Amino acid sequence: MDHTTEPLSTIPTGMRYYFGQEARLRRTVEEIGMTVFDGWSYEEITTPTVDYYSLFEHGMGRAEAHRAFRFTDTDGRLLALRPDVTSAAARAAATLFAERERPLRLCYAAPVFRQQPQSHAEWRRESTQMGCELIGANTLVADLEVLLIASEFLRGLDLEGNYAITLNDVGIFNGVAERLNLDPTSRERMRQLIDVRNAADLERFLTPHTSAGEAQSFAQLVQLSGKRETLDLARNVISNEQSRAGLDRLEGLWKVIESLGLTECFEIDLGDVARLDYYTGLTFKIYVNGAGYRVGSGGRYDGLTASFGKAEPAVGFVVDLDLLTDVVRMRRADQSLTRTQQGTPPDPKTNDPDEEPSRDSARDPSELFLKALERRAQGGRVSLKLLR
Amino acid sequence: MPELTIAVAKGRLQDEALALLASAGAGVSSQDLSSRRLAVEDESGRYRFIFVKPADVPVYVEHGIADCGVVGRDILLESGTDLLQPLTLEIGRCRIVVAARTGVSLNELGMLRVATKYPRIAAAHFGTRGRPVEIIQLSGSVELAPGLGLADCIVDLVESGRTLRENGLKEIEVIDESTGRLVVNRASYQLKAKPIASLIGALSHKSDR
Repeated sequence: MDHTTEPLSTIPTGMRYYFGQEARLRRTVEEIGMTVFDGWSYEEITTPTVDYYSLFEHGMGRAEAHRAFRFTDTDGRLLALRPDVTSAAARAAATLFAERERPLRLCYAAPVFRQQPQSHAEWRRESTQMGCELIGANTLVADLEVLLIASEFLRGLDLEGNYAITLNDVGIFNGVAERLNLDPTSRERMRQLIDVRNAADLERFLTPHTSAGEAQSFAQLVQLSGKRETLDLARNVISNEQSRAGLDRLEGLWKVIESLGLTECFEIDLGDVARLDYYTGLTFKIYVNGAGYRVGSGGRYDGLTASFGKAEPAVGFVVDLDLLTDVVRMRRADQSLTRTQQGTPPDPKTNDPDEEPSRDSARDPSELFLKALERRAQGGRVSLKLLR
Repeated sequence: MPELTIAVAKGRLQDEALALLASAGAGVSSQDLSSRRLAVEDESGRYRFIFVKPADVPVYVEHGIADCGVVGRDILLESGTDLLQPLTLEIGRCRIVVAARTGVSLNELGMLRVATKYPRIAAAHFGTRGRPVEIIQLSGSVELAPGLGLADCIVDLVESGRTLRENGLKEIEVIDESTGRLVVNRASYQLKAKPIASLIGALSHKSDR
């Protein structure tokens, strides 16, 4: 092939245009999301499009950062087009905002760039991430806050009844791997078998390490995705302390989700073990009818900001704006998604942050969130005070 | 409206896959089977089957156009797609092997020319051994290549080994075993949890031996 005659009409693989109705719809979806984030008192941050590659190596881990487009600065240092926003937000939290009052709530909507598509379905090399980071709080209430924000966003897109947020806790897998005394290779092998839900091979893999009954029950467990009963089943099989603590945390979350009447949109999925080195507690994935690939993910990463000199707990999530736009477009919901239908603009009085903040541990989280959701339904702004 | 769309690999695996699915309560009528339609519903109306080339099964499932698929592990290894693989099915058992002409020693060569339909599997296999290879991708009749001098060896799927023998080749090394797999789209697994769980349940009873 003669590359000198490469037509000017082509654009690189994985890139695309947005225009017309689709561009308008995408903007609308973005605004709905940013309005929700603002309603929970998240402050928008824009991070540099080009940053040092080492930032992402620290922020995302080497394996993920490797997918960044890299080039060198005039002084020879390695730069990258940002493959995520979280890394730079975490650095800002540990440096620029080091003295600010906690918790710190940041949100963003920005394009990210990744090469080497992992798969056929994920062919795009530029995509727009929308996300929230809640930094400086490691309570159940903080975890719930981000879950409810994600959920509210999807409802705002008329996706109620058409999405599932799956919950897991990395402590559960790590505890089991620890108890089985697995070397790193076997541990990764077990993770992969769980990740693809291959119960039969997992059972075979576990058999030399544990009793036959235990191997079978554990293998069945990772294939299971369900509601609260999943946790009860897990408790019958898993007894180590670390896993138990993870199960307790999930159960705590689930109780509040139950009392808020939101169990329809949440699932417990003990087989979600995608990025164990990154997350330190809760992990979740967001699936929507009409998208073959997950539209978002998140979790707790208490180890993240330590890389930038200030260790503090953090929880957050991202959703893919472009995938969400696709789903909404295909559902032909575009007409109903006009800006005027987002409810009346909030009354300035309710727009103040929570006027009687109370320490979340002192209050029942269910009660706290019932009040918060009620206020959000009226278009009011919520700012929960959280303990570290 | 069918609850699930299942992609079935045409060819080698198809008859066994359909028999297994039928015994798990997802049977296609013989009338539909003998027709040339590429998308048919099962007799209960719960499942829609689409018949596609083996290499396309992971593509349909990863995009969520099909919720599930039945395909050989060889295809999955080669495609590198991100799919759930909840069940190993006891159908279409075979081996992925390295084979060369009888009497040829591959260790004497500084670089191997490998003819294969599985460039990814071949590259990964020799890569982990640190052997430099030139991969020559073919789409069929791979067994011809060494005899005609196109390649030093082949990486291919072998069931009985008869084709190898009749073309003057012998198995040198087994890279992996392959059987049929049930694959599931990650989003469907969560959003259509009930029908998928019941399909997995029915199939796993059938494939227990």
